[in-house]
Amino acid sequence: MATFLATYDFLLVSMVLAAVLALTLYLPLMAGQLSVASPGFYALGGYIAAILSTKVFRPPAGLYPVTLVLLEMAIAAVASGLLGLAVGLPALRLRGIFLALATIAFVQVLGVVALNLDVTGGAIGIFGVPQPFSGQLQYMWLAIPLLLISMAFIARLERTRTGRALVALREDELAAAAMGVNPTRYKVLAFTASAVLAGAVGAVSAHFINTWNSRQGTFDMSVSLMAFVLVGGSRTFVGPVLGGLVLTALPEALRGVADVGGLPPWLAQFLRDGRLIIFGVLIAMGTVFFPQGLITPAVLRRLGRRTPTPGA
Amino acid sequence: MNRTLLLQQVLNGLAIGSVYAIFALGYTLIFSVLRIINFTHGAIFTLGAYATYALTGSQFGINGLLAGAKLPFRLPFVLALIGGSLVAAVCGVIVERLAFRPLRARGADPLLTLVSSLGVAVALVNVTQYLFGAEPYSYPDPLEALPSAVNFGTAGQPILVRTVQVVIFGVSMVVLALLTWLMNATRTGKALRAVAEDMTTSSLLGIDTDRLVLLTFVISGFLGGVTGTLIGLSVGIAGPYFGIAFGLKGLAVIVLGGLGDIPGAVVGGLVIGLAEAFVPAKYIAYREAVPFALLFLVLLVRPQGLLGRAQVQKV
Repeated sequence: MATFLATYDFLLVSMVLAAVLALTLYLPLMAGQLSVASPGFYALGGYIAAILSTKVFRPPAGLYPVTLVLLEMAIAAVASGLLGLAVGLPALRLRGIFLALATIAFVQVLGVVALNLDVTGGAIGIFGVPQPFSGQLQYMWLAIPLLLISMAFIARLERTRTGRALVALREDELAAAAMGVNPTRYKVLAFTASAVLAGAVGAVSAHFINTWNSRQGTFDMSVSLMAFVLVGGSRTFVGPVLGGLVLTALPEALRGVADVGGLPPWLAQFLRDGRLIIFGVLIAMGTVFFPQGLITPAVLRRLGRRTPTPGA
Repeated sequence: MNRTLLLQQVLNGLAIGSVYAIFALGYTLIFSVLRIINFTHGAIFTLGAYATYALTGSQFGINGLLAGAKLPFRLPFVLALIGGSLVAAVCGVIVERLAFRPLRARGADPLLTLVSSLGVAVALVNVTQYLFGAEPYSYPDPLEALPSAVNFGTAGQPILVRTVQVVIFGVSMVVLALLTWLMNATRTGKALRAVAEDMTTSSLLGIDTDRLVLLTFVISGFLGGVTGTLIGLSVGIAGPYFGIAFGLKGLAVIVLGGLGDIPGAVVGGLVIGLAEAFVPAKYIAYREAVPFALLFLVLLVRPQGLLGRAQVQKV
């Protein structure tokens, strides 16, 4: 067990962070809005943490204080939330494919800006983000509470008036509006919550991967997040969490298979580098064969658990 | 900015804008018929560029599965361009069968179709990388017999435009003329416009809508292949991902022009080409953000596009 944890420390933390990021795509989707903006907020959060920790807080020698990481997470969350509000208020008048396109454009613009500003380190990015822990596995102290808190928040949300309003918007926006649900208000709420969460994850990730540049939080990540949510399941938060965990581990597992040996070289190479081919095929097959994903409320019911989304 | 430089930038902007226009028409045709955005268009653009490269008898690099492979024959560039675009058209048809038809048969949400086509696009681009490697390629220069630039000014006041820009502008205009003729002067074009207007009614009137949907994907794939090759000719094939970036840019063009609007796509392409050409040299690094900033602004201010009329919300 100890060897396992030591070998796969990076992967295990990545899996947990991916699960949280999958939830950032799930939140607007609860209200039926496909927004792929969260990589943008994730990138912003990462830059905030990287800049604060390397340039502003002037870390003392030795390990970087965890309290400062928490402070950075809070600042990143607030800043992302504010940007989310500023972008969300006008953008969420759009719906369907228009919103998806606008959020793609948002992520692209942020990427180009990050690539060209001085404060973000241009194309090189920011190196040597200080480490609060002596080992990577200890990042679980930040990642697991983040995941548990966001899961608890969404589980709770799904049972409240707000959560039911979001589901009502997903099922039929016009009918929901006629029932007195303010569509823009609830959509902006879900979008901003997603931005806050993505910013916080970005702040942790900047420390975790030790460096931050414009290749973090790009369109590629939007694709991965979509795979997590659409394959995992888009009707209960359990789907995105499991999707994030499993699909992040999958490439590593395939790599393990490739290293066993005795395979034809083309297959071994495919297993090593085919992550995005597999994600792409999974997304396409998922939408064709399982439009609600693999983990649906019905599946959860059958497993004998309480249904997280009443009436979905 | 003096007059010479201004004219030079206008000509450059028109050249690149004309390529954006015919690329965006590939999206627009499919959107006008099916009301969906075909994300695989960027991937087909990539495949077309690679197919043309293969047909010119060039060798693939060392990183892909097909390292060092090359075709046993060598086509002249013009034939390779047409052949590569036909390969792209065939890919368009395969994509239609695999990713769009099953969802259409079920009457799925357009958003779901968008996601599905995105999945296929990502898979296609990465299969390309798996087969041909990530290294950049450039075509054996078909224009080396010509001077490298054309002078549109006088000998004393030269307005120089790269020959390749002139050639891609010319090819784009030919393609655009053919497409305009097809849409406006033939029975097939009339049927296509009818299907775009109302699929159910046209099918009741005896139009074979499935065949026309297929034709739309053939034309769209062909346009993707042509533009992939033209951009590859102008700036080289920068690796399999160059189609994804270009595909996203094409989205900006169609939104600017109004989704599904054919003249709008042409205007949108030219506007974005010109806007990019006029980014001041000091901010040149921000040029890649221009189409997306425009896309975002247009969506917020005028979601129906520059030429479109506001849609009435159906209840």
